[in-house]
Formats: sequence, C-alpha cells, structure tokens
Amino acid sequence: MLSIKNLTASINGTPVLNGIDLEIRAGETHAIMGPNGSGKSTLGKVLAGHPAYEVTGGEVLFEGQNLFEMEADARARAGIFMGFQHPIEVPGVSNASFLRLAYNKKAEAEGRDELDPLEFDDFIHEKIKVVAMKEEFLDRSLNEGFSGGEKKRNEILQMAVLEPRLAILDELDSGLDIDALRVLGDAVNKLQRADRALLIITHFPRILEIIQPQFVHVLSGGRILKSAGKELALELEERGYDWVLEEAAAGGAR
Amino acid sequence: MTSAVASNLFADLLSGPRPSEWDSLREEAEARLARRDLPTTRDEDWKYTDLKALGAITFGPAPRATVDVSGHLLPEMVGNRQVFVNGHHSPHASCASAVPAGVRFLPLSTASEACHALGSVGPTHNQSPFEDLNTARFVDGAVLLVPKNLKVALPLHLLFLTKAETPITVFPRLMVVLERGAELELVEEHHGEGTYLTCPVVEIRVAEGAVLRHERVQRDSDEAFHLGTLKAEVAKGGQYHSRTLSFGARLSRQQPWVRLAESAEATLDGLALLDGAQVADTHSFMLHAEPHARSHQLHKCIVDGHARAVFNGQVLVAPKAQGTDAKQQSRNLLLSETARVDTKPQLEIYADDVKCSHGATVGALDPEELFYLQSRGLNADDARNLLTYGFAADVLTHIPVASLRRALRQLVMARTQAASLGDLA
Repeated sequence: MLSIKNLTASINGTPVLNGIDLEIRAGETHAIMGPNGSGKSTLGKVLAGHPAYEVTGGEVLFEGQNLFEMEADARARAGIFMGFQHPIEVPGVSNASFLRLAYNKKAEAEGRDELDPLEFDDFIHEKIKVVAMKEEFLDRSLNEGFSGGEKKRNEILQMAVLEPRLAILDELDSGLDIDALRVLGDAVNKLQRADRALLIITHFPRILEIIQPQFVHVLSGGRILKSAGKELALELEERGYDWVLEEAAAGGAR
Repeated sequence: MTSAVASNLFADLLSGPRPSEWDSLREEAEARLARRDLPTTRDEDWKYTDLKALGAITFGPAPRATVDVSGHLLPEMVGNRQVFVNGHHSPHASCASAVPAGVRFLPLSTASEACHALGSVGPTHNQSPFEDLNTARFVDGAVLLVPKNLKVALPLHLLFLTKAETPITVFPRLMVVLERGAELELVEEHHGEGTYLTCPVVEIRVAEGAVLRHERVQRDSDEAFHLGTLKAEVAKGGQYHSRTLSFGARLSRQQPWVRLAESAEATLDGLALLDGAQVADTHSFMLHAEPHARSHQLHKCIVDGHARAVFNGQVLVAPKAQGTDAKQQSRNLLLSETARVDTKPQLEIYADDVKCSHGATVGALDPEELFYLQSRGLNADDARNLLTYGFAADVLTHIPVASLRRALRQLVMARTQAASLGDLA
C-alpha cells in the first residue's frame, strides 16, 4: 500500500529525514518510535503533505501513485489520514458541519452519494459511539475549547468518518489519561481492517499494548535504526532508547 | 474670524431650517459646530480615517420616502418593530402591537416622556461633530423605555432604512432607558441604498441591575458614509452587552462610549468585514469609573482588497475603580497585500488593584490551520474560505435571535466565498 524508498526531506534547509525505507501492506499495523527530535513526527507530516517540509530525495508510492505529485488535500481524498498531535481549533464552524463537509468532499472524490444534514446526523450518531464522544461535542465549534483528550477523541472520530486506507496517528497518546487511551486505542482497533493500514507514531510504548503492531521501527536522526516485531516495543519500555542508538553506532550505521 | 472661501460641510448642513423642539439642545450643538471644520487626518483622532471624499459631496436634506421593507423583516419581527425611513418614522412599516404592556417603544415625535433625558447621557464635552450634527438636525427617532423589573421576553427591532436618489443626510436617533432590574434584547439595523451620510446617535441608560443586550448591524450602501455615536451609562450591577457588525458603507466609524458604575458589566464586541476600498473605524472608550466593574471587548476585522480597518480602544480606569477587570482583544485578518489595519489599544489606569489585559493580532491565515483542513480533504481555496468564515462567524455564534443569526451567517458565507461549503452552522 505504501512504499517509501530512501526518503530524504528538510525544513528551512535543515535535513530532517535522511533516507527512510519502509514498506507497509494492507492489514498491517506499524509503529514508529524514537526519542524526541528523531524525525518521527516529521515523517508523518511529510507523508500527509505538510507544506513546510521539502522532499529532497527518494520516492513514496501510495497504492502505486507518486505521493509527491499530490497536494495534501488530494492525498486525503485518496485515502491518507493523519491524526494530529496538536489538532487545530476552528471557531465559528461546528464540529458536525465540518465532519459532514470533509465526508462529502471524500464521497464526491470517490463518486459516492453525498449526505444531506439529516442523513449525516444518523450517520454521525453511530460513529460517535465508537469513540464514546458526548453528543454536545458535535454542536460545538471544531476543537474549540476541547481538552487535549477531547481533541484526540475528535481525531479518531474523523478517522472513523473518513474511513482512510492508511491512517497515520501522530502521538495519539499525548495528553490522554489511561482511561481515555484505552477507549481510543480500542476504537482504533475496531477500525482496523484487512484493507487498511495503520502507522502509529509514538514516543511511549504504552499505547502499543492496546494497539498492537506487527512491526516496530526505531527512528533516530531521521533514519530507521532498527526494525523488529512487537517485542521490540517491550524492550524499549524496559531499556529506553540509548541501547538502540549505541548498537546502531557500533554496527557501523552511517 | 470667519473664512468666506472654503465651503464647510457643517455650515452647509446647518444652513437649512432647524427642526422643531429640543431648541436649547440644538442651539448648543450648533454653537459647537460653528467653531469646527470637518476633521482631517492631521487630527490625531482621525489620523487613519480620511474624510476628504465626504467633504467633496454636496448633501441635501432627506425627503420622506417609502421603502418595501419585506426584504428586511425576519420571522421574529412581528409586532415588535419600529421602522424609520430617511430619518422619518414609517408608521405603515412599523408594528408594535406585541410589545408588552408598560414598555414604551415609539417614535420620539409622539413621545412626551423620557425626552428630558435626551442628550443627557455621556460627557458634556468632546462631542464628535457628527453627534452634534445629529442633535442639531434630527427629525425623529425612537424612544424605548422598559419599566422596573420587567423582563421583556421578545426581542425588539429597530430598522433604520435610507433611500437616497440624490446625496442626502440622515440623522437616526435612539434613546433607550432600562429601569431598575429590567431586561431587554434589542436589535438595531441600518440598511440603505444610494449616496448618503448617516450619523446615528444612540443614548442608553441601564439602571441598577438591569440588563440590555444590543445587536447592531450596519449594512449601509457601498456609497454611504456612516458616522455613528453610542453612549451608554450602566448603573451599579447593571449590564450592557453589545455586538456591532459592520458589513456596508464606503466609510464607517463607530464611536461607542461606555461608563461603568460599581460592579457593572459591559461587552463591546465587533466584527467588520471589508472589501474593495471600504474603510471601517472603531474608536471605543470604556470608562471604569467605579470599583469592581468588568468589561470585555473582542473586535475582529477581515480586510480584503484595498480596504482599511482602524481600531482604537481606550480603557480608562479611574483612581477609585479598584477591582476592575478589563479585557480587550483586537484580532485582524488580512486577505490581500493591499489591505491595511491600524489597531491601537490605549489603557490609562489610575487604580492599583486591577486586572487589565489587551492584545492585538494582525495577520494572514495560519498555514498550520490550512494544512489541518487540507489534510481532511478540503482543497486550498475551500480551506481558506472555511477559516475566513469561521473567524467571522465566531462573533455571530452567541446572537440569541435565531433568524438574525442565520441571516448574518449566510451573509458572512457569501462574503467569505464559503457559500459552496454548505451549512456550517
């Protein structure tokens, strides 16, 4: 589904990704872990099409299409979704109408029927159950005055509404207490399907006890230093990141 | 010393006959105007708002006119409206049958009571010349009086319409008195077509514990000049909450002045949506005269084309006004390279135990916000329009009259090119 080959990127002339290779197939869950400043959030933003980053080399194919020939909105309509670490507040626009707008833009792109406000009302009331969101959050302005946890809940609701092929969840666990993490982790698990892939970006292994990945990659200095199965997450939980960095240095990684 | 050379707008406008009644009030205003010329950008107070174009137009008095008001009526406006056309009361378009007993809501020309209060609100010096022009030449206006402890459930509407076939002047006048413990929601709208100068003057007295909510909508014509004055005195524990929405006029200026007594509260929110060569200026004055009063101002401008917005927010905290809580925010969105905003907070604080905050932002749309919306599948144009709409619509969210809120949202959607995005409310 997603094929990343020797990807390099920079921001304001400073290199931040220094040759990433990664294959993600439908049905898989991958975790990208790493210390702060390792480039893991950058990878998510580059894949989602953040305009501040310049792709300086390599290629990314998403379902056979060259990702870098598409603007961020075209990537979203093609099925890439990024759950933000810090979702933006948009006062004056209700959450429900924003969700409907986003849903209809995607439906239009896929040649499906758009939903009118009444139809969407039924649709969204089913979806909010998945993330245990209170109904009042639909009428409030998009993310405005939401707590950190409520914003993350809203991100997963958007994922449930937009039904992406590839969902990149950037630090879903930050700002969440353990109960909220459980609810949202379970919701993400329910949303995982054979034709969908998940890329979980996280600093802490805790979330990976709930959303269990088949593949764990450790990123540092804009490179993947180590890839392994989910047992790597447990090892990182116990030992931290330093040993991976040391091992990579000793192994002669550039 | 007088000059016979330059034609003076004020002298021209005062050359006609003085309307009947309020003689002494009018004489004083005329005397002050006789000593004044049209302000220029050399006056500190008018530094950013150039009235040259106004001075170049010869205005005549406003004739009586009839206007089809149906397009201006909202579903809620049945039996609770007074309509003025070209400054004259329009009895056929008005309908006050649903106004609760005890509330006086009628044209000045038929009111005998409350008129002694006219001209009594606010400071007795430093009147704007446009307020004086109104005082000298208004022909009619509205009186609104809510008696003690009466809470009016139904919003009352005032429509000031102008129809100018040739350039005319109009002087809408409004006196609002809420007695102790009274509550009211008032909607004041200005609409017009053609070239005209309108100088509305609104005087408000909110007595102890009374609450007035005031929505003000300015949708004057693109050729109009709107130079308005509002003065409100809020007694102990009273509340005055207003929201001024400026969409129209070639050049507009709002000068709200509010005096807060002990533990009183005021909100002066504003939104200006400007395009083309429009100019919208707000010069506000919030006077914390006594202890423990609270004030809140959020002024937003969206400026496109060559348009220009000016905000000058004065807050004065008197020496005895301990425990004052004053907040002021000026937020401005520039949508073009040639749009311009001049914003200036002006805080004068003479008490030591106060909470005063102010802030001003001027900028374009935030790229992070645009990216967020694009990452949800909205194209760049839709994302820009949605954010612009949201910036403006935020001010409309709490308008309690549902149909007015909807109508203004639609107007804002059309003006921010967000109409294609469907219902965003």
